[in-house]
Amino acid sequence: MAELSLQHIDKIYDNNVQAVFDFNLDVKDGELIVLVGPSGCGKSTTLRMVAGLEDISKGHLFLDGKDITQTPAKDRDMAMVFQNYALYGHMTIYENMAFSLTLRKENPNVIHKKVLAAAEILGLTSQLNKKPNQLSGGQRQRVAMGRSIVRSPKVFLFDEPLSNLDAKLRGATRREILLLHKRLKATMLYVTHDQTEALTLADRIVCMSMGYVQQVGTPLELYDAPANIFVASFIGLPPMNLFDAKVAGDELILEDAQSVHVALTPEEKQTLAAYQGKTIVLGIRPENIEEGPGIPMTVSNNENLGMNTLVYGNIGGPGGPKVCAKLKGWVGHTFGDQVQLTIKRKHLFDKETTNAIR
Amino acid sequence: MNEEQMIRRDRMRFKNNKLSANLTLLAILLDVLYFVNIYQNDADHYYHTWMIGVSIVYNLIFMLAAFLAEEGVKSYHKAYTYPLILLGAIQIARIFILPMDAHSTTLDSGALAMGDGQFTYLVVLLIASAVCLVAAAVVNFIKCTALQAHMKMLEERSAAGALSQKSA
Repeated sequence: MAELSLQHIDKIYDNNVQAVFDFNLDVKDGELIVLVGPSGCGKSTTLRMVAGLEDISKGHLFLDGKDITQTPAKDRDMAMVFQNYALYGHMTIYENMAFSLTLRKENPNVIHKKVLAAAEILGLTSQLNKKPNQLSGGQRQRVAMGRSIVRSPKVFLFDEPLSNLDAKLRGATRREILLLHKRLKATMLYVTHDQTEALTLADRIVCMSMGYVQQVGTPLELYDAPANIFVASFIGLPPMNLFDAKVAGDELILEDAQSVHVALTPEEKQTLAAYQGKTIVLGIRPENIEEGPGIPMTVSNNENLGMNTLVYGNIGGPGGPKVCAKLKGWVGHTFGDQVQLTIKRKHLFDKETTNAIR
Repeated sequence: MNEEQMIRRDRMRFKNNKLSANLTLLAILLDVLYFVNIYQNDADHYYHTWMIGVSIVYNLIFMLAAFLAEEGVKSYHKAYTYPLILLGAIQIARIFILPMDAHSTTLDSGALAMGDGQFTYLVVLLIASAVCLVAAAVVNFIKCTALQAHMKMLEERSAAGALSQKSA
């Protein structure tokens, strides 16, 4: 049982730079929360405040209803996994995993049982007598996780644990973390700037920018119904195409390509009733674009990915707004080709507030 | 064997034999103390014979051999038990060579080449060093035997497991 609650948390450094603004989050027992955002958005600072490695300037942090805002890191019963593993090079894997318990002067036999159990979970049993430099990056990260597991903490904190790994290993280790979460049913807070990690791992995602929480929701919510332009452009790969467009009756006219008219559905028209004659931001995900009669595009680049093809070009003729379309299959367009695109789904945002229009 | 004992044995798979290793290092330290002390009172150049050369060379060999044995016993090599016992026996035998001879030799000045106090001190150092070496050897032998038996049991268990899996 480990419920975490962050209430109105601010982080202001000594030089008056504020890194986190009014952070609020309730983490349920056994939930895996991913904090995602670009570098410098305050996600690692938030995690470090939860761990007790940074002071909380304002607000309160509760663990199972108990205020731990002022509790030292060592007494918070949380384990942190770092990007650089932080393993002791002169110790074996067994000794590394047992180290924190040895410091607590636990019974060696109990330590042994816990280390073997953690090694079994992580598939490290055959590596226990090796030194960290004899292991691959993925295995070292598993050791770092094992070191956390043996402590049986209330909350696991991960600070970009996969950033040092190559793409293939990152995928494999990501799946291992997910399995670990399902097996341990532990409360986890995970920081990453990689949206793929966020979407695949999280029960809920906290999307941050410039120290502010932009949206909290399930991966599907953030992908399907982004709260604002930042979330819309940050979540999704390739990122969403965004265009300034004027609402004119039952269609949108792109500001940078007046010849391009995008028809609105009756529901969309109703939603945009208050925006008639005004400029909004039209968002279209690359995967929501198909080839078909509609908007003309001049192809500038073509990236075949096997299952899909990313087609880049300008809509409304050369010099028009840039667009990326993710078309199914192997498409052989070349530079200068003229293609017609159909939009399957639109996202609408208020240009001034940047919030989604619903 | 109860569970506690089983776990204690199993721990040996992942932990060094620190007790034997540390006892051996202590024996080396005691020998160094012996070595730096024995020539302190070189009245009438008593020690200036071929013996001093042999003594120095032996001390170097002893330290090297003991250190190698220490590394061996640290990782549960049973074979290093016997060199440790031999080194311990030689430490005892050394009492009857230089210290005993110096203690029983009267110099031209009428004084003993080695006084009672220094003799006692050196004998204690050599005996302590020998005890440490023999104790390290005995501990190593017992632990290695236990570990071998444990490993054999684990192998049998895993073989039985594989067999039952195959038959299933």
